[in-house]
Amino acid sequence: MGELEALAPQLGDALRFHDPVAVDGVPVNATLVPRDADDLSALLVALGEERCAAIPLGAGTQLGLGNAPRRADCFVSLEAFSAIDELDASEGVCHAGAGTPLAELRARVAEAGWELPLDDAGRGGTLGGALATAALAPRALGFGRPRDVVLGCEVVLADGLRTRCGGRVVKNVTGYDMAKLYVGSLGALGVITGAWLRLAPKSAAVRVLQGDELSDADAVELGVFAARLATAHSCLLCDETRGLRATVELAGDEASVEQDARQLEERGLHGANSALRDAAAARRFAALRGALRVVVSALPMRIAPCVMELRGQGVELLVLPGLGLVCARASAEDADALFDAAARAARAGGGRMLCERAPHEAKHGRDVFGAPPAEVALSRALKARFDPNDVLNRGRFAGGV
Amino acid sequence: MAPPEHTALIAALAAIVGAERCLARREELFVYECDGLTLHTADPSAVVFPETRAEVQAIVRACRQHGVPFVPRGAGTGLSGGALANDGAVVIECSRMNRIRAIDPPNRLAVVEPGVVNADLSAAARPHGLFYAPDPSSQLACTLGGNVAENSGGPHTLKYGTTTDHVVALELVLPDGSCFELGSPTGFTPGFDFVGAVVGSEGTLGIVTAIVVRLEPIPEAVETLLAIFPDVVSACRAVGAVIEAALVPAALEIVDQRTIRAVEDSVYAAGLPRDAGAILIVELDGPAVALPAQVERVRELCAGAGADRVEIARDEAERQRFWRARKGAFGAMGRLAPDLYVHDAVVPRRALPEVLAKVCEIGDRHRLTLSNVFHAGDGNLHPNISFDRRDPEMLARVMAAGEEILRLCVAAGGVITGEHGVGTEKREFISLVFSDADLEAMQRLRATFDPDRSCNPGKIFPTTRFCAESNPKARGYDRVPL
Repeated sequence: MGELEALAPQLGDALRFHDPVAVDGVPVNATLVPRDADDLSALLVALGEERCAAIPLGAGTQLGLGNAPRRADCFVSLEAFSAIDELDASEGVCHAGAGTPLAELRARVAEAGWELPLDDAGRGGTLGGALATAALAPRALGFGRPRDVVLGCEVVLADGLRTRCGGRVVKNVTGYDMAKLYVGSLGALGVITGAWLRLAPKSAAVRVLQGDELSDADAVELGVFAARLATAHSCLLCDETRGLRATVELAGDEASVEQDARQLEERGLHGANSALRDAAAARRFAALRGALRVVVSALPMRIAPCVMELRGQGVELLVLPGLGLVCARASAEDADALFDAAARAARAGGGRMLCERAPHEAKHGRDVFGAPPAEVALSRALKARFDPNDVLNRGRFAGGV
Repeated sequence: MAPPEHTALIAALAAIVGAERCLARREELFVYECDGLTLHTADPSAVVFPETRAEVQAIVRACRQHGVPFVPRGAGTGLSGGALANDGAVVIECSRMNRIRAIDPPNRLAVVEPGVVNADLSAAARPHGLFYAPDPSSQLACTLGGNVAENSGGPHTLKYGTTTDHVVALELVLPDGSCFELGSPTGFTPGFDFVGAVVGSEGTLGIVTAIVVRLEPIPEAVETLLAIFPDVVSACRAVGAVIEAALVPAALEIVDQRTIRAVEDSVYAAGLPRDAGAILIVELDGPAVALPAQVERVRELCAGAGADRVEIARDEAERQRFWRARKGAFGAMGRLAPDLYVHDAVVPRRALPEVLAKVCEIGDRHRLTLSNVFHAGDGNLHPNISFDRRDPEMLARVMAAGEEILRLCVAAGGVITGEHGVGTEKREFISLVFSDADLEAMQRLRATFDPDRSCNPGKIFPTTRFCAESNPKARGYDRVPL
């Protein structure tokens, strides 16, 4: 009998067995469903005592992100934390549970006259998943990164400690900014159960413009220019059959949007159907969900050499110039070559690399986060302080912590 | 003379930086007994002025070897006692690490040392059409290392964010003398966001020796409005209306009547009506084509909230005049009393009218001269209490009022500091906001970087949990050296 089965009487109704779901080759056949934060705390303590390992679970849309787990006994579902507790339209802030579907949250926020500044690029998923992965999508150009959106959050740490950080106010330096540490940490330190978010004002005007059949060099130059326009909300360069296509979304007041649109038209872009506004980002991202996908960051003026390094591998590219990100897709058998090219591209771009998706065989022996060794030492020390029993996402985060 | 127990350490420090960059005589150390918050004092064992990262590492190792803590310090303009040399710490004064190593206009980045003065960076970036956005009131003196420690903001935080939104990478010397490069100039750092954790950690996680910051393009146009209201409540109502209208001004600042009168009586006089209840400064920036409509909308909203009149700066000189009322406020207070306690707390913006009324009531009840100048758009209050620290009874009233204000703001859903930091000043009050468990999580982060608590000890965390009520020294209002 495994450790989890031995814990079954203690875990009670919260433990549900099911058909195995593979996470990077590791089968997981049980899910814990805590009723509330106290319950979650008790479950994590129990798991820790038996040295079991768990993977926090939202909608499961990004389970492929991370290194292959060293061990995974169960998922911990956040489905009970699905509530929009407060939406303060006068302040432009809201609080929601981590299990809240982003689509539901986005709709409620829109009803209140604001925009949810988290772009999932059509992935769907939950608030907790979006924060734990801090995944970037095209509209992070206009909205800011997920870390910038969180005013405060509640987290049950891996050893069961229930904690809170930040708050509901828009400016706050009371104590350490722990939310920065939790957002994007893939649940390695604790499970985010809810968060206060800063909402974005709705734009009075939105326009989408496109340009086709661009060379890499022309597209990157145009993309950097477009992304620096005052109203640039998203800017994508994506491979089409005959060169790169640039899609730029402008959002803001009408006069500024019109002015920026004219500048883009002068550079050869043309207005696109506004339906593309939502479809473009989602479609391009979906198309790139191939077997192997890497993201490389680059300084604006070094995006072009970064693209050149990757282009040599015959990959399909998507570039977000305003965010300094170059995404490349390849087939699984090209793993070694793509990893090498991504490392070179990161050096060329002055940035870092992340393998967002890969077959588990390709992850073997690699840190998909590409963390530098010095940072790994700090990461390990931090993990040991927060998760001494190595309960959460064991081995999955940067440096294998 | 240095305390005899520190003689060996001071000799070691002098060997690292040279005797001329190591102060240890009592009269030399006196100026370092406090920062911008003069309510608290602590005597350092020595003050050293490193010029390189290697010197910082050697200093830290020497302190560690002798079991003496150390405190990083910039210009000493902090307002929470964050740079105090508690426990006889050695002050590592970073003002000589003041080189702007690089400005990279195409990538809109700058690499600076921690002693670079905030305003100097914007001045250096200006010829390239760029500026550094966080602009604390002390920006002519405060350093970027200090800004990183405190996650400094300023009047333009509302649109541009605080320091954490502009720092992409750091070089950090840990308390054991090791050095880490954290983050990436690209701003994309898969893995823990250590840069985000270090910014705002009040110098308790290590000593920052280099900073990579983002620069912003200078906006094409700026419009500044001055709205004059019969009272603070209606000015706050206007702020709420602007936020609800989804406008994002660069700044929304309120100055109350007491401050207006102090300013008008001073060299900072800006020609404001002395009988105005409050003024609201609204600064809009961005594309020139966008501003006329926004100006008109703000004017309507102010009128709707009860403004007696709204003026629009016709030129840069008039804009500077409007801002003089705001920026000269602290200087003007100097006429009222020898000392000024610049308090700092944040409330939800919609709570501003009610909280401000109660803040004034608290000041009156404690028979104090209390005025308000604040970042209304962020809900960031700065009740300013004029006092004379030589009067112990008055000092006690100042601190009692300060504590009441903090409790009031927390009860309204707010927090105890929006930009000054917790430091020494508020360490006993952080428990008003956070539970023991919350603080335990923060301690785990600290222990990761500084397990011996040798870097800037006695800050942020309560030292006398549950005893603050009965321990005046812990509350820090008797100017007894800590």
